[in-house]
Amino acid sequence: MNKMANSRSMTHAVRSLCRTVVIQTVTRTVISAASTCYRYYMHNNFSSTSQVRKSFVINSNEDFVNKVMNSDVPVIVNFHAEWCDPCKILSPKLKELVDPMNDVHLAIIDVENNAELVHAFDVKAVPAVLAVRSGLVVDKFIGLVDADMIENLIKKLTMKQGG
Amino acid sequence: MAVAKWLCRVVIARTHSLELNSYSSSKRIYLNNGVNSRPARYSSSCHGQYDLIVIGGGSGGLACAKEAVQLGAKVAVLDYVTPSPRGSVWGLGGTCVNVGCIPKKLMHQASLLGEAIIDSKAYGWVLPEANAIKHDWQVLREAVQNHIKSVNWVTRVQLRDKKIDYYNGHGQFVDLHTVKVVVKTGKEHTLTASHFVIAVGGRPRYPDIPGALEYGITSDDIFSLENSPGRTLVIGAGYIGLECAGFLNGLGYDATVMVRSVPLRGFDQQMAGIITDEMMSKGVNFLMKCIPLSVEKKNDGKLLVSWTNITDQSTHSDVFDTVLFAVGRRALTKELCVESAGVKTVPESGKIFAENEQTNVKHIYAVGDVLHEKPELTPVAIQAGKLLAQRLFSNSNEQMDYETVATTVFTPLEYGTVGISEEVAIKRYGEDNIEVFHAFYKPTEFSVPQRNVKNCYTKVISKRKDPQKVLGMHFVGPQAGEVIQGFAAAMKCGLTMKQLQSTVGIHPTVAEEFTRIYITKRSGVDPNPQSCCS
Repeated sequence: MNKMANSRSMTHAVRSLCRTVVIQTVTRTVISAASTCYRYYMHNNFSSTSQVRKSFVINSNEDFVNKVMNSDVPVIVNFHAEWCDPCKILSPKLKELVDPMNDVHLAIIDVENNAELVHAFDVKAVPAVLAVRSGLVVDKFIGLVDADMIENLIKKLTMKQGG
Repeated sequence: MAVAKWLCRVVIARTHSLELNSYSSSKRIYLNNGVNSRPARYSSSCHGQYDLIVIGGGSGGLACAKEAVQLGAKVAVLDYVTPSPRGSVWGLGGTCVNVGCIPKKLMHQASLLGEAIIDSKAYGWVLPEANAIKHDWQVLREAVQNHIKSVNWVTRVQLRDKKIDYYNGHGQFVDLHTVKVVVKTGKEHTLTASHFVIAVGGRPRYPDIPGALEYGITSDDIFSLENSPGRTLVIGAGYIGLECAGFLNGLGYDATVMVRSVPLRGFDQQMAGIITDEMMSKGVNFLMKCIPLSVEKKNDGKLLVSWTNITDQSTHSDVFDTVLFAVGRRALTKELCVESAGVKTVPESGKIFAENEQTNVKHIYAVGDVLHEKPELTPVAIQAGKLLAQRLFSNSNEQMDYETVATTVFTPLEYGTVGISEEVAIKRYGEDNIEVFHAFYKPTEFSVPQRNVKNCYTKVISKRKDPQKVLGMHFVGPQAGEVIQGFAAAMKCGLTMKQLQSTVGIHPTVAEEFTRIYITKRSGVDPNPQSCCS
């Protein structure tokens, strides 16, 4: 009985944890705990991301950890689906805005190929865009938004330097 | 820190089970550590008991699963699509979402919009020349498929959110309480449960004639067809055949329907005749009393079809770009190996005879198209699935009411109906004991573009003696589905002619015709409309 009560209250604790800005713990633990990912996370802790292209497609959890969570540079994470018309409008717009910038990368995640990432970030609708800096989700929006909102998100992302 | 450690364990276990291609509830993993913590490299895994395993992720199966999990049951859903002979496959959601109601309605709408464009000229819209107005099949196909995929995705997200274990693999009964399923990776899972719901639905049949399997398509393929169908022969005149021929014709393709006996068999035949008359006047060709003999592929890629007219035994042939078979559907019970669980099926159709959705095996149930002699409709499957889950996992005793189910055939001019046909009424009560009210009518909107109104007709069948309880309502006209829906609720309340005729209509609509109906077939009075408002 006690165990059940404990696990239930733990579940509540987890839920409130997710809702605060300390998503860092959750996202790091979630991704790094995946069996293949864990080893790579430790391995690549000090890897440089300077070889990474500005806009790239994420193909695996390992890819995500290397190029987004461990990125020295802030990353805009775009959850995208081929069957989603607003996505087809937003993704090129994001790329257009990010390409000329040196201090922001763009990671595109196809929801059909990355079920675990979709699950981890609880993506319920597309397009979903997260702004990630130093492994922390600092901002997000869902749905097709205008250029102003995208620029604001990018500005927020690149404004403060360091965690 | 303790919370984070616990979270780690939960997530490791959760991710481990994700690799096994299932979404497990974290609570269960936490408690059943022994059984579920086998490493992924084992080729098979044995899962603990489920309260309910639903086989088939379509309308009925998903509704049952979602309701059951809400009532606290541990539920797993199995779903798998065997590729059609043409190679068509689709995602989670069943026939309705992928190759039935949804894409059908979208394509029907596409063809109606084509008609509306023509009509709009009379209403003052300035348009390019009629021959410059074309339809692009690829654009429609992509739009329809994108919508279907978005629904597939939302469905998967819902299962995940509701913590229903989902296995994308072909399930088969091993014994009374066990099902095995092989998922995409090749891993085999053996699942046991205290209850099972068979909701595997059906797939289109092919006739046993040369060339049918190799060159024909079915409703499984039409909605994702890569190239435009071109000149199409639809073999079969049930509602699937008529609806397909209807929208293909509306989109500008030459469409022919081959009818073996009568169109819309089982429906009110007077209404079926009106529907086909309307389709003929719109340009659909009908080959009545004909059955196909063979389909051959010519050198230019077109299909040469031979058929015989069963009234005079003459044979004919013609060339088409596409041949679509709509000659009936069969239940997928054989593939499920139901006999391994002792479930009896009806030999011809493979369907399951169930009393209150319970098969001859006490803990095995069935919902949806797989049921013998129940309407093959999504809302019926959904309602039955929900009520079944409530009876299994809560104190409910409510049974599914299969009577007074409204339905609509989405031919170019739609046919909506609720209750019984005139033939069934005569058979059940005798011609002398029923009254048939009817009327032709003219939709206001048809006047300006001078659209043909001769097939706009409505009929109400009631008992002859007071209070003249309404037995059936039939409507051919635009928006028939929208028109009939409310009347289904009225009939469930025991609608009588007095109540119907004392209802004040909304003007100008087509639905109000039901409130104005008064001419009986028995009187012999001409049911054609004189004028609009008086």
